[in-house]
Order: sequence, then C-alpha cells, then structure tokens
Amino acid sequence: MSGVAAPHPARAVARDALLVLLGSAVVGSAVNALRPSGIPFVQKTEYQILVPCPEGSGEAPGMAPNDPSLWEPRTLLVDARPASEHQRWHPQGARHLPFDYLEPAPKAEVERIASSGAARVVVFGDGGNPDTGEQLARELAGAGIRNVFFVQGGAEPLAAAAAARGGR
Amino acid sequence: MRRILQWRGHAYLALAARVYVGVIFLAACWHKIVEPGSFALDIATYQIMPLALVNAMAIVLPWVELAAGLMLVVGFRTRAAALLVAGMMTMFTVAIVIALHKGLDMSCGCFASQGAVDDPISWRTIVRDVGWFALALYVLGLDRRPIGIDRLWPRRGAAAPVFRNTSEERS
Repeated sequence: MSGVAAPHPARAVARDALLVLLGSAVVGSAVNALRPSGIPFVQKTEYQILVPCPEGSGEAPGMAPNDPSLWEPRTLLVDARPASEHQRWHPQGARHLPFDYLEPAPKAEVERIASSGAARVVVFGDGGNPDTGEQLARELAGAGIRNVFFVQGGAEPLAAAAAARGGR
Repeated sequence: MRRILQWRGHAYLALAARVYVGVIFLAACWHKIVEPGSFALDIATYQIMPLALVNAMAIVLPWVELAAGLMLVVGFRTRAAALLVAGMMTMFTVAIVIALHKGLDMSCGCFASQGAVDDPISWRTIVRDVGWFALALYVLGLDRRPIGIDRLWPRRGAAAPVFRNTSEERS
C-alpha cells in the first residue's frame, strides 16, 4: 500500500467539479471586470422584461365611454387597472381584475366572470397604447367569454361619462 | 451489475455522448460570454432568481459551460465535467418547467438569443434537456476509463477502479 491514500473516486469527482466551478467564477469575474461591456456583478434596478404571454387571442370590440348600454344592469364592468388606480375611482359594482403583461388572468376570476350571468362584459383599463382594458378584454374573449367589449380611451373618459350621468 | 459496469464499450458510447453534449455546451456558452447583458436579461425573464444574483449567474455560468464542454470533449476530468453538466441540466430543466407552469411565452435563452416566436419553450424543450441530462449521467456513472486525457494520464485513485483486478491485488 502506498504512503498517501488516494481520495475516494466520487469525492475526487466532486472536488474537481467544485474547483472548475470556482475557477470559472474567478475567470468570468475577471473577464467581466476587464471588458468594456462588462455588467455590474449585482444588478440594482429591475430588468425591463416584457414577456408577451397572456396576449389575448379573442376579438373584443371597442365601446364608446358614453354608450348607454354601459350602465345597464346586466352589464358587468371589469377594471383592468392596478389596485391603486382602482381604489382611487371605479364605477359602482365594477369588478377588479388587474391586467398583467406577464401573468395570465387567474382562472378562478375568469370562471367567476363567465358564470356571472351578465349579458355583456365591458373592460376598461388605463387607456394607454396598448390599452390594458383592450388587452384584458381580448384575453377574456380568448378564454371563451362572449360579448366582451372594452371602453375606448379607458378609465378617464369613462369617469367623465359617469360624472355627466350623475355618477354611478 | 458489475459486468455492466465493466463493459469496455461504455468508453466508446460515452465518447460519442461526451463529444455531442460537449459541443452543445460549447455552442451554448458562446453568445452568453460575448453578450453577458443579453444573457442576464434571459435569466431575469424566468422570474425565478433574486435580482441580486441574476448578473452573477450571467457572468459565471457561461464559463462553467465552456469549461465543462471542453473537458468533456478532450476527456479531462471527464466525470467532474459530466457532474457539472448534469447539475446545470437539472437547473435549466427546473427553470423551464416553472416558466411553462407560469405560462410564460419566451425563448429558453439556451443558445444565441432568439425571440419567443422563433424558439419558444415547450415540453419538447424539457424532453431535449432531459435527454442531455441522461447522457451526462451515463458518462458520470459508466465512463470509468474515459478516452482522452484521463486515459493517457490517469490520476491515481480517481480512475478505473472498476477495471482493477482485485484477485491480483490480493496476491
């Protein structure tokens, strides 16, 4: 038997892998530090990622904010804006379902809207380009909900129309 | 079992597996090394890693891929390279499963950055990754005398315990 005990093969394999890992970390960090296009080792600001995942596949026509059918009892209004905007103002009875460019609408919420018994579903959003209301309306239509519309221009003209009617 | 482990054909089958997986890793690491910013964005898109670790991973991981790929191809510390590849494949597969579960429509970022339209992740991506993982496991588990540098200059203790004739050792 030789004087120096050889390491167990499995242990030697693990040790070699760890050494490669450490060596790669050193080389990678050094190259990154030296190159002009290197990136900071720790990212401080969020990456602007836009994954077009829940893009609506359905068709949802626009509806004018002063359309009288908006205020009919069997119309279900859905607010696609973030919670802060929803809390600031929303028409009475409007359901809140914020549109997310990354996550699809929760199935349970979609099913609740589908089984609401409403004659039509009208979604309003931020009125931007793209309009979150239109995006969510298309998503809901794509999920199989019928008679889905979106408010053209979003929440702002809808609020003005509601005020003109004496609020809702 | 012992007979299976001792079969000499493993070295040749494993050589093919090693070169195949090694070349894939070499091809995969290139754009990540050249454009770490794009790769960091790819990692961030998965929405799994904490933000503080995204760039560190983007800086280090391509070099691990490069090292492991080279080691597999030339047969240097082959089983360690296979262990690294198996570990990375596990990590990639889990990330893709989570992304698919979240419904993210995105590219896997495995090779030169492609859009979600050209190279979307799918269950086929997972099958592919599991296949590469299996090849890495094969090399790790059964390639005990790898053809390459390891065979030319075997390290004492780490290589070829399977082929040692124990009856000769006892005498």
